[in-house]
Order: sequence, then structure tokens, then C-alpha cells
Amino acid sequence: MTFELILFYAFGAILLGAALAMISVRNPVHAALFLVVCFVAAAAIWLLAEAEFLGIVLVLVYVGAVMVLFLFVVMMLDINLAKLREGFTEYLPVGVVVAAAMATVLVLVITRYITMEVPERAGPEYANTEALGAILYTEYVYPFEIAAVILLVAIIAAISLTMRKRPDNKSIDPGQQMAVSREGRVRMVSMPSEKKRAPRRSAQGSGSGASDDDASK
Amino acid sequence: MNFEIPNFLPAVPEMFVLGMACLILVIDAFLPDSRRDITYGLVQATLVAAAGLTLWMMGPETVLTFSDTFVKDPMADILKVAVYVTSFLVFLYARPYLMERGIHKGEFYILGLFAVLGMMIMISGHNLLTLYLGLELLSLSSYALVAFWRDSTRATEAAMKYFVLGALASGLLLYGMSMIYGMTGSLDIAVIAAELTAADESLNIPLVFGLVFLVVAIAFKLGAVPFHMWVPDVYDGAPTAVTLFIATAPKIAAFAFLMRLLVEGMGPMHADWQGMLIILAVLSLAVGNVIAIAQTSIKRMLAYSTIAHVGFVFMGILAGTDSGYASAMFYVIVYAITAAGGFGMIVFLSRKGYEADQIDDFKGLAQRNPWFAFIMLLLLFSMAGVPPTVGFYAKLAVIQAAVGADLVWLGVVAVIFSVIGAFYYLRVVKMMFFDAPKDENAEPVQPSGALATALSINGLAVLALGIFPGLLLSITHYAIIG
Amino acid sequence: MDTIYLLIVLAPLFGAIAAGLFGRQIGRTGAHTVTILGVAISFILSVVVFWAHVFGDAGIYNETVYTWMVSDGIHFEVGFLVDNLTAMMMLVVTFVSLMVHIYTIGYMKDDPGYQRFFAYISLFTFSMLMLVMANNFMQLFFGWEAVGLVSYLLIGFWYKRPTATYANMKAFIVNRVGDFGFLIGIAALVFYAGSLNYTEVFAEAESMRDATITIWPGWTFGLLDLALIFLFIGAMGKSAQVPLHVWLPDSMEGPTPISALIHAATMVTAGIFMVARMSPLYEFSVAALSFILIIGAITAFFMGLIGLVQNDIKRVVAYSTLSQLGYMTVALGASAYAAGLFHLMTHAFFKALLFLAAGSVIIAMHHLQDMRAMGGLRRHMPVTYVTALIGSLALIGFPFFSGFFSKDAIIEAVGYSQIPGATFAYWLVLAGVFVTALYTFRMFFMVFHGEERYDQAHKYMPDHGDDDDDHHHDHGPLQPKESPWVVTVPLVLLAIPSVVAGYFIGPMLFGDFFAEALFVLPEQDVLATKGETYTGVIAFVLHGLMLPAFWLAMAGLGTAWYLYMKRPELPGVIAERLKLGVRILEDKYGFDRFNDWFFAGGTVRLGRALWRYGDALIIDGLLVNGTARSIGWISARIRHMQSGFLYHYAFVMIIGLLVLMFAYVI
Repeated sequence: MTFELILFYAFGAILLGAALAMISVRNPVHAALFLVVCFVAAAAIWLLAEAEFLGIVLVLVYVGAVMVLFLFVVMMLDINLAKLREGFTEYLPVGVVVAAAMATVLVLVITRYITMEVPERAGPEYANTEALGAILYTEYVYPFEIAAVILLVAIIAAISLTMRKRPDNKSIDPGQQMAVSREGRVRMVSMPSEKKRAPRRSAQGSGSGASDDDASK
Repeated sequence: MNFEIPNFLPAVPEMFVLGMACLILVIDAFLPDSRRDITYGLVQATLVAAAGLTLWMMGPETVLTFSDTFVKDPMADILKVAVYVTSFLVFLYARPYLMERGIHKGEFYILGLFAVLGMMIMISGHNLLTLYLGLELLSLSSYALVAFWRDSTRATEAAMKYFVLGALASGLLLYGMSMIYGMTGSLDIAVIAAELTAADESLNIPLVFGLVFLVVAIAFKLGAVPFHMWVPDVYDGAPTAVTLFIATAPKIAAFAFLMRLLVEGMGPMHADWQGMLIILAVLSLAVGNVIAIAQTSIKRMLAYSTIAHVGFVFMGILAGTDSGYASAMFYVIVYAITAAGGFGMIVFLSRKGYEADQIDDFKGLAQRNPWFAFIMLLLLFSMAGVPPTVGFYAKLAVIQAAVGADLVWLGVVAVIFSVIGAFYYLRVVKMMFFDAPKDENAEPVQPSGALATALSINGLAVLALGIFPGLLLSITHYAIIG
Repeated sequence: MDTIYLLIVLAPLFGAIAAGLFGRQIGRTGAHTVTILGVAISFILSVVVFWAHVFGDAGIYNETVYTWMVSDGIHFEVGFLVDNLTAMMMLVVTFVSLMVHIYTIGYMKDDPGYQRFFAYISLFTFSMLMLVMANNFMQLFFGWEAVGLVSYLLIGFWYKRPTATYANMKAFIVNRVGDFGFLIGIAALVFYAGSLNYTEVFAEAESMRDATITIWPGWTFGLLDLALIFLFIGAMGKSAQVPLHVWLPDSMEGPTPISALIHAATMVTAGIFMVARMSPLYEFSVAALSFILIIGAITAFFMGLIGLVQNDIKRVVAYSTLSQLGYMTVALGASAYAAGLFHLMTHAFFKALLFLAAGSVIIAMHHLQDMRAMGGLRRHMPVTYVTALIGSLALIGFPFFSGFFSKDAIIEAVGYSQIPGATFAYWLVLAGVFVTALYTFRMFFMVFHGEERYDQAHKYMPDHGDDDDDHHHDHGPLQPKESPWVVTVPLVLLAIPSVVAGYFIGPMLFGDFFAEALFVLPEQDVLATKGETYTGVIAFVLHGLMLPAFWLAMAGLGTAWYLYMKRPELPGVIAERLKLGVRILEDKYGFDRFNDWFFAGGTVRLGRALWRYGDALIIDGLLVNGTARSIGWISARIRHMQSGFLYHYAFVMIIGLLVLMFAYVI
């Protein structure tokens, strides 16, 4: 057993343990932190497989950005833990059986039927980042662009689902306040001068006469 | 590094749709709410122009480009046109619905257009990666569309279910793809097929292992039993305009996805996936048709009917013959057109504050508006497979394909379940023509606008295609056989 | 040429659609203008086509216009086969149809269903043209059913009369029996030849002769014999041959123009046309020909006899039609297809003429149809009188009139025929000539000569229980007068071909007019035998004067004159003497009674029994409701699987994945 193999199993064990802990701990903040551990362990395994770029990206993007955001949200929202965990023990046996069956199949297939040679180690001059970069914008430019579009759609979806103008929102838009003009505020209305106790008919007649006067001004 | 600039020409429709989608996104941002019709018009124009481009570039040869990740062949062209046509219809039907409910937002059309782009990418995918990304693009747009009506808690719940289950399915798909990649050493569909043909016996078990995951993911997308659970909840929970969309065009894309992955990629393993599809087909036919009977909501009923239709599509494909693929393609296109009409009718009958999504709402439609009762009758007949509507030929063709593949028993099962299925379609017909309308909506339906016209054309097309099935049949044959 | 053929077919269809769907909008005048225009276009183009084919050098046109679908290698197509035979039929159909369209303006002028009527007859013209122009069995069958449908609609045109609805149902059901045979026949041919196209099926004819088909172990038939006899059963339904003739007399419940167009001139001859069209097949089956010959002869003679005792003017003409159709059938059976078609053509003209003349009389008598209340009409209706006389003379085969040529040709052809049953047929058709002359002139004298018996009209007035035409009950004594020009002009126009059509006998029977369309084996070619002695029309007539047929016709005419002009009291005395015979004839040999009791009654009894025990108990009770109930129960149970919980759904997916994995991986 080489040193690398020992490291692999160690990180693998950490990964699995952290994942199990993540779904079983009561505190959501702890769960998120366990997920961080998972990612770190996975990144380490990437490094062992000489995919250092992916390992670094995993740490940077997921641990550094996504999980922080996640923690932020979890801490902001007050989640009713008791309700979330309802039925956990009830479903546990079934879940365990199914998971065991699944794991059995996986293990059987992988150990029994898949035999692969150990890939040759690349030399120290080989750069994973460079290799990825070389094909990402050439051979894989089409999938790359699609991925970009997917991100764009994610942005649109996020904005359209969250940005809203509440009807009961009373906040003031300073821009609108500044853009106000005199005409928008004051409207001059010309109307006939009212005579007291004037009978209805004559009032109408004089009214029309008055408006004529206004027009002639 | 020897890299050539790829040939962009075959992907011009995709690039055009993407460019227009971005452009419309920007234009829409500057439009006041009262001018959303401009967005709508631009999106529809984009679809028409894209159809024009695709038709103009149509050719019998198969062209690969972008390092063989993109393929343009007759099947791709024809399915893309089918997607444009159904999406065009869907947007047309959806507009009055959105306007009446005050959710006539540009995002609906823009997300719809991105979904169309995702479908196009799936249809033209020639690489596990592009296929997956196209699927994700479509799925993400669909999730957002389902959640689009934020004031509806049912829609939000449906979106959540859809999203979580969809993510699970995506995970399974990626797992399967990684297995296949590991065994064959390539993501390219054609290379995978070649490797599979050359692969020795010992690789068979792990390949089947990967294959199972692929089949499950596809079954989820199409909504085949037992991966169908999201279908009724999402169809029912989503605003009808969105249901209209996710129930129609994406099925065409999912069919293409299936064709690319299973038939073109995993073709040499036909014997293995045939069995899986048989199980899924029989379960879908049984569960879809039987549970539909117990529904009271017409949207849920149509959702289960979709599940049953997926069983028929599988029947055509699992036959493993060219005519079988052609019949499945015929079926899926016919289904998309008919379903668009069916959901369109629900939109047509609904008003603000009244969704017309219960089966009871169709009671006495013949008294309220005989013409649209007749159109609905045509659509239901087509779904049930009653001649002379086109649904009959679709069912006939796939059953013929199954029988041609020595699966007579499967044909018999399909016929039995379509007879059971006929019950709930005909029950709606009976309610429309022989029952009195419910008290609260006894007044006649006033047809108006483009929706009424398009719906009439949609219904009559179902009849016309049934009387003259030759055209569409020969198109699908051309697409598959060349 | 394609466009012309398409136009011929589609012009009447367009007229029918315009008058049928938009009748209310375009009004009465619009309806008859548009339909007459459509049919007139068809007629003029048919003349053009006829000219091009007969006198010009247009070859046989045989093209597919549209492929409807392909199933199992069998093409379902719409296509046209136009040769001299088709061209002749097109000409006859469009000409008679045009005349009937014009005539209808006068006949139906007070009817509320005016537009509907024009829509129907135009639709009929379309269907009939589709039938005769077909180049494949599918289209033939389409036309066959379409004319049947229109016939059904038109017989029941006055749908408020119970007798009319009874008659149209009868016509439809009896035709269904025939169509069943027709369909089996087509199926047998398609089964063997693997194609619906005439040319391709005909190409297999010779090889089909020796093919056999085993229906039940031990029951082996010649495939061709069986298929052709079944095809002919279809023709028996459509062309009203015994025993499927029962619907035709009843069909006279329809308006008279329909009786002329459909039930005399065109539709009923579809069977004759079909057999002639299939001559390349029929020639190879002596059994089928013999069957046709015997059926035709029985129809020709025995149906003529019934005509002797009828009093309704239209029914007399109807039975005469049956009898004449029998003659045509006999000609087909004797392989004298050309003679049958020739008679078909002449008959179309003079029988349409007779029907329209009868209609003219009926108009004059205010929709009274009983001849016992007529008489002496020749003074009031000179045009109708003269044209009816021409029609009658043509019908009995008076020399120089068209019927003479065609009928003589048939009788002589049968005389030359050698196939089994020919002698029997010969004597029956010969005797039929006497009967024809007798009933024709019985009718003619009763209607146009003798004393005026209009005062007895009330006795014979049909009681239709129909609100539409009770306006004539309140009239005083009837004052018949000549019909308007829209009625008489078609009469005159039809009278012309009734006289002159016979002069085409040379080219049509003994020339090569039908050489491309018909196929006759040399050893069965009776017309060729006859043709050896043919030198010209005059010689043919002179030769005809020596034959028994002519003298029998004269004897019939003389008898009619003696019985109905000289000694009008004699028929009553004779009827008294031959009570039993008259009873049998008035009972129409009991066909109707037997059908009502056995087929109609039996079916009802059987149906009731099946309904009570089979349907209500087993199917409805156990199978349908039982299945429905259990499925409903299952459905209500398993819909609860749809719990609405996300984790349930995900769990089901995982289980599904596991099941598939266990099934296929391990």
C-alpha cells in the first residue's frame, strides 16, 4: 500500500463520514459546515488524481463562495428543525435497506467487473490548468458556450423570481421626485364664476357665456 | 495544437435564437408593462425566422461540426421545426391567459425562448456533454417557468418538486454518462457506438450498469412510470400557460435526446435497453391510463394521459427498427400538437379567477359553444386514438412497429390499455355534449381573437392530418431513413 | 389532360358544397345556378374528353393523382383510368345529370328543401364520376358507397313521410348486403394480387384462374370464381338483381328526378359498369358468368311480370327498370359486355326520359301517381305525350328506336352463347320482350289515352300524412296542363338520344370502340359471331324484323291496345280468372314478406335474445361494468400513491432505479 493509497482512503473516509454527518446532524449550520468538509476532502482527492485545477476550483468556488452564501442564508432564515426532522426515524430503516442495496450493487459492479490499469503519471512539467485551457476554448467551445447560456438563464430566473414591486411598498423613488415638472403638479382649470342662488337654467346659459370669455382671453 | 475554426453554418439557427433571446432580453428591460406585446411579437418573429432558417438549410446530408459535438441531419431539422411550431402555438395560447392574470411578463417568453434553445441543442447534440447541457438549459428554464407565477403557492410548490426531482435525475444521468465515458473513453456519440460494437463481453455488465442510469434519466424527462411522479403535480400546479409549454415541445426534444443517446450512441446495446423500455412502457400504459380515470381535474387527467402516451412512444422506439423510430417520432409530434390543443382549450375556457381546470367545467360545452365543443371532441378523439383523427394513425404505427419486432403481446397490452384510456376521454366528450352546464358558467362562450382561430386550426389540423396522414408519415420516414 | 379530369370531378363537388353548406346564404337561385354550372362544366368537359378519346387520338389515361397512404406495400390512391368506356359513362352521367338538374327547377319549385336537393344531386354526380373514373378498387369502393349514401339521402328526401324513411332504410340495408359481398370480393382479389390497382390485378387474372382457396377443410373453391361471384353480389345490390332487388321499387318514394337520375339512368347501372370494367377477370371464370346470366334472366322476365299489375305510374317504370337491368346483366353473362353497355347507354336516355315524363304527368296531376285516375292526357300535355311515346317505343324495342338495337343485340348474343344456362336465359329474355311491350303500353294507354278519370283522384290520393303538400286536397276537379319549359326542355333533349343513340351500334358493338377497355376470350366472343353478319344499320333492322323478338314486341303492343283501348273491361275479367297469379304478382313473389319475416324479424328476434342474454348479462354485466368497476376501484386505490410528498417521489424513483438495476445488472 503506497502512501497515495493511504491518503486516498483517508480522504475517502473523511468524505463519507462528513456526508453522513451532514444529513444527520440537527443544526443546519453544522450541516453546512460538514458539507464544506466534504468539498475539501473531494478537492484533496482531485489533487491526488493530478487534477489540481479542478481541486482548486472546487475549494475556491464551492467552499469559498457558494457555501458561504449558503451559510448566510441558513443563518438568516429561521428554520423549524423539529418539523424538518419529522419522520426521520420512521423512514430510516427503509432508507438504510435501500441504501445498502444500492451500495451492494455499486460495489459489486465496480469491484468485480471494472478493471482498469493505473494511468501513467504525468511529469512535473505537465500542467492541468493549461491542458484544460487549451481545449476549453477550442474543442469544447460549443459546450462551453452552452454552459454560459445556462448561467445567463439562471440569472434571469433568479431575478424574475425574486425581484418584485410590492403593491404595499411605500418607498420613494428619488429619481421620480426630481423629474417632477410644474405641469405635473399644478393644473390650471378654467371654470365659470358661480353666482349665488342662480336658477339652474340661467346658470347653464351664463356658464357657456363665461367659457366663451375664457377662450377669448 | 492543431485546431481549425469550426464550421458555424449548421448551427446558424441556434446562434440566431441565442442572439435574439439576448437582444429581446435587453429590449424587454426597457419596455413598460403595457408594451409587453412587443416582447411577445419579437419572440414569435424569432421562432418564425428560426423556422425559416432551419427549413432553408435543410438537407439530406449529416453534417458534424464543433469538434463533432453538434450534428445537423434531417431528423434534427424536422424536430426543430416541430419544436418551433408547437412553441409558437403555445406562446399564442398563453398570452391571453397571462394578460388576464396580470402576469404578462417578458420573462415568460424569454425563458421560453431559452428553453427552445435548450431543446434545439438537445436535438442537435452529438456528444454526451452537449446533450446534458442542452437538457439542463431546458430544465432550468422550465423550473423557472413553473415558479413564474409567484403569487400562486401551488405553482411554487410544483416548481420546488420539479426542481429537486429534476436535480436528482440529472445526477443519475451524469453518473450514467460517467460510467459510459469510463468504459468507452469518449463522449462522442459516434465513437461510443463504435467502441460498444468493438467492446468485448467482459465490459457488458458495467456498460449495462451505466445504461440503467441513462434510461432512468430519460424516463424521468419523458415522465415514464415509475419516474413519473412529478408529472401530475407539476402539470396541475403550474399555471396552465406553463403546463401548456412543458407538456408539449420538451417532449419532442426528449424524444430526440432518447434517439441520440440510446439509438445512436447505445445502439449496439439494443437488446439490453429494449427490455428496460418494455418494462417502462407497460408500466406507463397501465398506470397512466388507469389512474387518469380517477381524476377530477382535467389538467391532472391530461398529465396521466401524457404518461400513457409516453408508453406508446417507447413502444415505437424499443422495436429497434427504422420504421419503429419513425413511428415514435410521428407519435411524439402528433402528441405535441394534440396536447397543445388540449391545454389550449383549458386556457380558452378559463378567465381571471376561474381556471376551468376541472373536468366538470367542460359539462355542457356543446350548449355554450358547439364549435369549440367539436374542436375539443376532435382533440380528445385524437388522444384516444379514434379514427379518422391523426391519433389513430399514431397509435396504429407504433403498435405495428411493436408487432413487427415480434412483440405481439406488447401490442395487445397497448390496445387493451388504450381501450381503458378511451373511457376517460370519452367521458369528457359525454359531459360536453350530454350534460347540462354547471350553474356558474352557463353563459355561452364568446370566441375571440387569435386564440380562438388558432385553436380551431389546431383542432382541424388533428382531423386533417388524420384524413391525410401521408404527408407527416413520409416526413418522419424521411427524417429517420433518409 | 389531368386538369380536365380533375375539373370534371371537382366541379360538381364544389357545387354540392356551395349549395349544401351555404344554401341559406346563396338562396334558391344561387343554389341551382351554382350546381347547374358545376354539372354543365362537367358535361362540356366530358364531351371534350369523349371527343378526344373517340375521335381524337388520346390514348388510355391511367395515372395516380394522389397517394392517400401506403400500408403493407398496398397503395391507397386516388387515380383516374379514362378510356372509351369511361368516356362514354362520363358522357351519359353528366348529360342525364344536367338534364335532371334543369328539370328539378320546375319539379321541386315549391319544396322547402330546394337547396338541399341540389346539393345532393350534385354530390351524387361527383360520386358517380369518381366511381366510373376510378383506376383502383379503393376509389371504386368509395364511389360505390358514396352513391349509395346519396341514394339513401334522396330516397328519404321527404323525411317526414314514414314510407320514405322506411324505403331509404330498406335501400340502405339491402345495399349493405350487396356491399358486404363486394368488399369480400375486393378483399379476395387484393389478397391474391397484392394491389388495388386495376391494371396490376388484371395482370394476375390468368394466374388466378388456377388458384384455389380453402375456406374450411374440404371446401375448396376457385379463388377467381369465388371473388368474382362476391363482386357480382355487390353488383346485384346496386343494380337491383333478384333477390336483392327489393329496394328499387320502394325507392320511388324519392322525388321523381331522383328516380330518373339515380334509380334508372346512372347509379343502378354501376353494377353493370363494374362487371364490364372487370371483364379481364370475368372472362376467366365461366362459373361466375353463368351465375350472372341466370340471375339476369330471372330478373329480366319475372320483374317485368310484376310491372303488369302495378297501378302507380312510377312503380311501373321502376319494375321496367328492374327488368331492363336484367337484360344488361344477361348480356354481361353472355360475355357480350359491349351489348350490355350499349343497352346501358340507350336505357339511360329513354328510361330517364320516361321517368321525367312520368314526373311531368305527376306535376300535372298535382302529385297524384295512380294511373287509374288518369287517362286522356295526350290532349292536355302534347309535349309530354310525344316524348313519352318516343320513350315507350324505345323501351319495347320498336325498330329504328334506340332500344331496338341494343335489345336485339343482347337477345341474339345470348342465343349464340354456349355457357351453361344460356338456353334457359334465351327463352326468358325472349318472353320478356312480350311482357315489356305489354306493361309499357298498358301504362301508356292508361295515362294518355282513353277517358279522363280525374274525378276519381280522391280515391287514389296517397295519404302521406305530410304537411308540406296538402295544398292540393282542396282543389276542385283537376285541370291538367302542360308543364313549364324547364320540365319539357329536358324531355325533348332526352328524346333525341332515345331515338338516335341506337345508330352507334356499328362502332360500339362490332367495331373497336371498346377494344381497349373490354377483354373477351375468343371462344366466348358472341358479339364477334354476330358481327360477322353485320353490314349496316338498315340491314340490321331488316334482319331484326325477321326475328321472333320483334314479333313478340308487336304482339305485346297489340295485346295492350286490345285490352286497354278496345275492351277496357277485359283486364278485370282476366284478373278474376287468374286470381292466384295476380295475387302472386301483387305480392311480388313474397320477397318483401319473406324478408320482413325472416331477415328483419329474425334479426330483431336474434338481436333481442343476444341483447338480453349476451349483452345485458354477460357483456354489460360481467365484462364491461365488471371491468369498469374493478378498474375504477384499482384506480381509486393507486391514485393515493401520488401522495404529494417530495421524498415519496424521490424514493419511488430510487426504487425504480434499483429494480431496473437488479433486473439487468445482476
